[in-house]
Amino acid sequence: MLRIALLMLFRDRAKYVMLVVGLTFCSLLMTQQSSVFCGLMLWTTATVRNIGAKVWVFDAKVEQVNEVIPLREIEVTRVRGVPGVEWAVPLYVGIEQARLSDGSFQNVQLVGLDTATFVGRPMEITKGRIEDLRLPDAVIIDQVGVDKFRKKGITIDIGTTFEINDKTARVVALCHANRSFLGQPYVYTTYDRALQFAKPQRKMMSCVLVEPKPGVAARELAENISAAPGLQAFERDDLFWATIRWYIKNTGIPISFGTVVLMGVIVGIAIAGQTFYLFILDNLRYLAALKAMGARMPILAAMVFLQSFSVGFVGFGLGVGLTSIFGYKVLKIEQPPFFMPWQVPAFVAVIIIMICCFSAAIGLRQIAKLEPAVVFK
Amino acid sequence: MVKRLSIFLALLGIIAVTALVLRLKKPQPAPAPLVAPSHAPYADSIGARGMVEGIDENVRIAPNLPGLISEVCVKVGDRVNKGDPLFRQDSRDAESRIANQKAQVALLEARVKESEVRVEDKKDDLARADRLLSQRVISEDVQRRKYFELQSAESTLGSTRAELLLARAQLTQAEVNLDLLTVRAPRDGDILRVDFRAGEYASIPPTDVNNPSLLLGETRHLQLRADVDEDSASRVHPGAAAIAFIKGMRSDPIPLRFVRIEPYVTTKKSLTGDSSERVDTRVLQVIYQFDQSIVPVYVGQQMDVFIEGRGPQPVHPDGPVEK
Repeated sequence: MLRIALLMLFRDRAKYVMLVVGLTFCSLLMTQQSSVFCGLMLWTTATVRNIGAKVWVFDAKVEQVNEVIPLREIEVTRVRGVPGVEWAVPLYVGIEQARLSDGSFQNVQLVGLDTATFVGRPMEITKGRIEDLRLPDAVIIDQVGVDKFRKKGITIDIGTTFEINDKTARVVALCHANRSFLGQPYVYTTYDRALQFAKPQRKMMSCVLVEPKPGVAARELAENISAAPGLQAFERDDLFWATIRWYIKNTGIPISFGTVVLMGVIVGIAIAGQTFYLFILDNLRYLAALKAMGARMPILAAMVFLQSFSVGFVGFGLGVGLTSIFGYKVLKIEQPPFFMPWQVPAFVAVIIIMICCFSAAIGLRQIAKLEPAVVFK
Repeated sequence: MVKRLSIFLALLGIIAVTALVLRLKKPQPAPAPLVAPSHAPYADSIGARGMVEGIDENVRIAPNLPGLISEVCVKVGDRVNKGDPLFRQDSRDAESRIANQKAQVALLEARVKESEVRVEDKKDDLARADRLLSQRVISEDVQRRKYFELQSAESTLGSTRAELLLARAQLTQAEVNLDLLTVRAPRDGDILRVDFRAGEYASIPPTDVNNPSLLLGETRHLQLRADVDEDSASRVHPGAAAIAFIKGMRSDPIPLRFVRIEPYVTTKKSLTGDSSERVDTRVLQVIYQFDQSIVPVYVGQQMDVFIEGRGPQPVHPDGPVEK
């Protein structure tokens, strides 16, 4: 019986293609837009992922990593005095203006790593040595920066100099860093030098990076540090989500992406539901014949669901496949943002299943009303 | 045909998306620090930022008198003993004064001699007059005149002697003035900085008190001035054990011996090396001593200091628990 159902489905090529295309488009729209949304949200947390410390200590009022109120430098020693702290080092993060030899400028994300230990150093040095950061005026620039400068006609390599706030910076190494939300290249230097580059303020230190003692839970330690007046500590994942939550709450990004995903759902339901309904209507005679031959309702229902889920499976597969092609292409050039956690295809699969169930239900309603006598009409 | 192709492509798509999800899921591990940072060695430790200085603080050497510098006798890093000359100032004027005073002394010594001779002469005259008066050869009037002449000669001798004393005192003063132009080490120590050159003018007061031209300190036994944030100040107790690390390093801990707590809580400067150090907060300064270890430590170097705290505080019956 189920074989008959599949034969029925594949025989009507036009409707099959129509159904598959509708669901493919629907799942493509949803996965691609959700992935771009996730990618964009991921970009906002680039600093957290690039530095990678387990516990971050900020001023008590800081809500996310991209908006930082500077701290007094002595807070490092205060944090070191908290029980459970293995070590604590200062970090400078700030957006500074880099001026190139031809006079054009580029905003850069300046990261000042603790001078002795380089805690938070770039994960991947593509050229040069991290140790050279100890040389005078030395900075390390990421690939995004190299690409951005190349567009302005300047090739950045080891030895290239540019200015940050009128002070000379010399590139000693290139690295790969996660791209930031606004696309400013990451420029790494030592903490002391970062203070020289940065515009002087009364307080300069952006945050304190903390490693918990072995056996101490990072989240628990963060709570202990937060108990100190004026300080607030985040566990890495908490900071990651706090930053994303901040962007979801304070920007229109989720609404615009949410609308597109909703449109995908509506288009899916409309096309798939309608086409499937027409498909059932077309095949009503055969179904009536089967009914007349004594096929019970559960068997007919199984047939209709099989047809609907087959279409759903193929549509979903093609949709996510197309998104994957898009994803692989985009990941290579790192723009536009793209990130696909497993939840995205799972969520889309659930939506597709719901659409299939809905379509099958419409079809079944027709079959339920069906008189076997229809076959003779 | 369409059936096969569509199912095949759908399967391919699902495989592709699984691969993509798995690839993106791969977490990036945070790289370990290049050098392990210093960590708190005690169960309850108080963090502080310390600066190395010579024991008993450094001496900022200043000239006694303003004047041109003619010779600098020491180099940076020299070991000097108490009393060793550090630099000399232009002494030609002082030397000429000494020569002048010496001549004056010689002149007055000659005058004293002359007056002494006169007094002897007058004494002799008076003795003869006394004898002649007793023989009634001369009148009493003449004898009295001789007497007063002797008195006059003696007083001249007295005043000339006084002048000589004065001239000698002035000579001593001139010699002291000459000696003052040579600045000597007030105690044993090492020369940490020399910013004087021969030919420069040493003014009083020095042009920049915070950057003395000549700095003397002790580098064999160093001490550490640990700045404890005022928030943590109450947790420091006298005699607390402490360990220092060279700023940012974890290896080679330097054990410290407690010396004293500075009773005055002072303003901390954020030691950025900038020409205008910014005031950060107020800090309690605790002084510790240590010996030169395997790692060379230099005066003026910054250290990460960990001071042992008093441990968890007992719960106060009325108030909140002290952190």
